[in-house]
Amino acid sequence: MREKLTYLIAAAVAVLLVANLYNILLVLPDEANQGAIWRIFTFHFPSAMTAGLCSFLALIGSIMYLWKRNLWWDAFAVSATELTLAFGAVVLITGMIWARVIWGIWWAWDARLTSTLVSWLAYAAYLIFRNAIEEPTARARYSAVISLFTFPGVIISWKSIEWWRTQHPGPVLTIRGGGGMAPGMQPAAYWNLLALAVFAMILLSIRLRQENTQRLIDGFRRQAHEI
Amino acid sequence: MRFLRQSLVIAGKDLRAELRGKETINASLSFSLVILLLFSFAFDPTADETRAICGGLLWLVFAFAGALVLNRSFARDLPNDCLDALITSPLPPAALFLGKVMANMLILLTVEIFCLPIFGLFYDVNWTLQFGMLFLVLVLTTWGLTVVGTMFSALTVNMRLRELMLPTLVYPIMIPGLLAAIQLTTYLAVGQPIPPDYYPWLKLLVGFDVIYTLLGLALVDTVLVG
Amino acid sequence: MDSRNFTYMFYGFAAAWAVLVIYVITLVSREKKIHQEMSRLQKLIEEGSRK
Repeated sequence: MREKLTYLIAAAVAVLLVANLYNILLVLPDEANQGAIWRIFTFHFPSAMTAGLCSFLALIGSIMYLWKRNLWWDAFAVSATELTLAFGAVVLITGMIWARVIWGIWWAWDARLTSTLVSWLAYAAYLIFRNAIEEPTARARYSAVISLFTFPGVIISWKSIEWWRTQHPGPVLTIRGGGGMAPGMQPAAYWNLLALAVFAMILLSIRLRQENTQRLIDGFRRQAHEI
Repeated sequence: MRFLRQSLVIAGKDLRAELRGKETINASLSFSLVILLLFSFAFDPTADETRAICGGLLWLVFAFAGALVLNRSFARDLPNDCLDALITSPLPPAALFLGKVMANMLILLTVEIFCLPIFGLFYDVNWTLQFGMLFLVLVLTTWGLTVVGTMFSALTVNMRLRELMLPTLVYPIMIPGLLAAIQLTTYLAVGQPIPPDYYPWLKLLVGFDVIYTLLGLALVDTVLVG
Repeated sequence: MDSRNFTYMFYGFAAAWAVLVIYVITLVSREKKIHQEMSRLQKLIEEGSRK
């Protein structure tokens, strides 16, 4: 039953993404100054929001693990962190491609880009660290602590365009008070946000199931070797 | 306050142990001096462009020296089950943590103060002009570095790959603090006062220290005891 | 339409999708490994209980 529900939601997400893609590529016009490249924003912004959401979920998972000491929460935290890295990579790469066209450079060391890259590296270090510890309870405990230390970096990255003058553009969407984007172009970004966020939740549930199964298998393996 | 007294006892113990062997401080100091020397070959010390990056150079040296100090912090107590004895003692783990942070901070600060005159010599800068403010920035950043580093030293103490994992974990988290320090030191180390629009960096440093000190004190119990 | 911007736009979209597809592929391969481990364990337990 759960599998069917997952497939149904995944199909709905796929339809939404394709429809939105059609809208973005073939219906909406080019932007006056940027040409065609503005369309990257419709993936860049939703991926950033999704990555932030997943890092927040990782934080929740870590706190819940430390509170309840149930390894399910640890599985939740590691799945959310992997998704943070995946969507974070999308943000960084799409941003670099946009920057190459608009600014003429692939990268700039302003506050937003630096803090995002650094947070990405911190979460990557979280995964590397997990590989080095085999005992599940100790691994979960230490990982939760690391996750609590890496989250403030995400907050700094999020707030960086407000606290510093950055090369990265300030808020452009109407709901954030910016006037940088034509209202007709904004729904595409929001539809993508919905699609990517739901897609992330599907991947999270799959990864979570795999992690819990792996835990069961490790338990069975110990039992089997005793027999 | 009993908590503070307990922390000072631990800090005193660590510092006494360090002063007897002087391993960490010697290693850290000689490493810093070598790196400073290397930097003065890599970047022409007399050029104006180098003045513009001197904050970065200084803090790179201090960050690497700090990694050496922090690695040894909890590892020093591994032989003879000293760490287990400390954890099972009536001492609250947060006091153990705070004591070690204070000791590490003092060691690292000593290395930094030693490096400043050498830096002044190599790069021909007058760092004494703004020494008060410079010292404040040194203290604030070193505190942040040692708080985060000591926490991760506790976390990685039992790992095989301790020397690799500690920098990998600490540096990404430290970068906002280091960035603030670099921005401020670039002006202060050459004797110029901080421009008014750079004061937010100072606020960032203080906020960074407060947040990570609180996080560290709250979580060290989980790391050490479980 | 500046054709250069169009090319880069496709690179951008391709990169975004490539990263997500790579992650899904890692999930799928992890699933396969889990199934393999499961069947190996089942065989081990059957052999053990037969003895």
